[in-house]
Amino acid sequence: MPEPREPKDRYSALRAGGLLLAIPTLLIVAPLVGFFLGSQLDRWLKTSPWFGILGLGLGFAAAGRETYLIYRRYQHDAAEERSRRR
Amino acid sequence: MGLEFLTRVRRSTILAGAAAALVFTTYAGLRPGLAWGLGIAWSLVNLSLLQALVVALTGRERGSRPAVKRAVTAAVAMLALFGAGGMLLVTLPPLWTLAGFLVPLLVLVLKAASMLLLRSRVWRWLVASPWRASVALLAVVVAAWWAVPALFGRPASASAPRAAAGARALDHALAAGSNPAQTSGSANSGGNPAPSSGPANAGANPAQTAGSARASEPSAPAASKVPETETSQGPEKFPNAITVVSRANPHAEWAHVLHQYEAVIFAWFVGLLLSVFAFLATRKPQMIPGPLQNLVEGLVEYLHGFIAGIIGKRHANRFVPFLGTLGIYIWAMNLIGLIPFMDSPTSSLNITFALAIVVFLYAQYVGIRSLGPVGYIDHFMGQPRTLIGWGLVPLMLPIHVMGELAKPISLSCRLFGNIFGEDMLLVAFATLGISVLAWSHLPFGLPLQVPFLLLALLTSTLQALVFMVLSTIYILLMLPHDEHEHEGEAQHAH
Repeated sequence: MPEPREPKDRYSALRAGGLLLAIPTLLIVAPLVGFFLGSQLDRWLKTSPWFGILGLGLGFAAAGRETYLIYRRYQHDAAEERSRRR
Repeated sequence: MGLEFLTRVRRSTILAGAAAALVFTTYAGLRPGLAWGLGIAWSLVNLSLLQALVVALTGRERGSRPAVKRAVTAAVAMLALFGAGGMLLVTLPPLWTLAGFLVPLLVLVLKAASMLLLRSRVWRWLVASPWRASVALLAVVVAAWWAVPALFGRPASASAPRAAAGARALDHALAAGSNPAQTSGSANSGGNPAPSSGPANAGANPAQTAGSARASEPSAPAASKVPETETSQGPEKFPNAITVVSRANPHAEWAHVLHQYEAVIFAWFVGLLLSVFAFLATRKPQMIPGPLQNLVEGLVEYLHGFIAGIIGKRHANRFVPFLGTLGIYIWAMNLIGLIPFMDSPTSSLNITFALAIVVFLYAQYVGIRSLGPVGYIDHFMGQPRTLIGWGLVPLMLPIHVMGELAKPISLSCRLFGNIFGEDMLLVAFATLGISVLAWSHLPFGLPLQVPFLLLALLTSTLQALVFMVLSTIYILLMLPHDEHEHEGEAQHAH
């Protein structure tokens, strides 16, 4: 027996918008967080600037990863929406 | 009171102790915070071992070989634990460590007392009427308000310089007209014929005229004495009720405290308003609803549909109370700044960051609950299943942690930036309105900010929705799900 349809139809655009809206700030904030954490480590361990640079790199990687995950979910939702319309 | 009671005690101790440890680490230093945390951990382990010992000695299996073995193990572990406790007392600040030891016992006593209280006749009488309960709550809050500073407050000598500094700052602000409203007021009284930096529209907000009147009369001569560096504080928002009160009492410490915590006070005020509104709307629910009940039911229904559309019908009932409350609260906080004498708490980064931290902690809690502690850690390590996967753990773990930390920061910065920007836009156009009519020396300006008030209505709603949508999505990303392309695999979170 098919499951009852979830009320996704009315809000699918908003959901997609919300998902994609998360990307720009994540792209900016994640490297900043990485750099900040790395700089704090540098301050404690007196290793400036190495952990700051490493944190920045990892922050960029984190931003890329989060963007990829969000985009993958967006694609998944879009495919689901297309199959529902058919 | 069974073993479940002890489990609840442990859980409450961990939550309260962790929060207190963060506070102590921040304000007292790393060692006191560490001593406090380790003291609590020691006491909790001790409690667990004691529980195991008692259960082994008095439980159903008492006297059997496994029970004796468990009892001996617990006793030996307790001996080792006492040794570790001694080491802690020697190496860390002993008072903080001892205080940590006592926390689980304190929680135990408080929980037992609350259980007794909840069953008492007095308590039932008190909570039978919401009015009686409200009065009692108010009495407790007032008592705490007086008792806490008396017990833990700074001595008068320590607080005096700060109060004086606060009063001086307020004096300077009043005298120099660093607030735009005051500059426009000075223009009206002839002190400054060309108010180039006065953004406030006196006609639109009476608070500004009140502030300007005070500024222009008694302290006008003092304006010239104030150093330029102290007056150039950049653009300010419209004065609100608290600003007006604190400027009216520049030498009172309570006014300084009010001014310092105005964002928190407005946030509480909005919470109180919403609580009263919800109480009135749901006090006597009718089958054919009245206007208020109808409004609230419509709003809840809309939010339920909205959140269910994002997170799925299966999870909606679980998350709608939290996310819906968050959305309504932020919406109300955004909008209240558009009322004269009020201020948007969300134009303070402290408030938006606090909201984002709540979402972050809740998302982590959801992750732990749905994936289990091991699954949660596995999720953070990037779900390593092969040798290469395990080799990548040192790389994946910080990347994942940074990704998680970036979410609350991005949430809070977005909301703060938008609402603060909206406030500044209104101030800028009010300034322009005053500047246009400056030649006429009228006590008001052109209301150029009015169209932007309508725009602010829209953006306030939109920002509340965006915060709610993104919070929903962050929680959604923590939930395990079956993806169509991974049907054969185990459930996992993103």
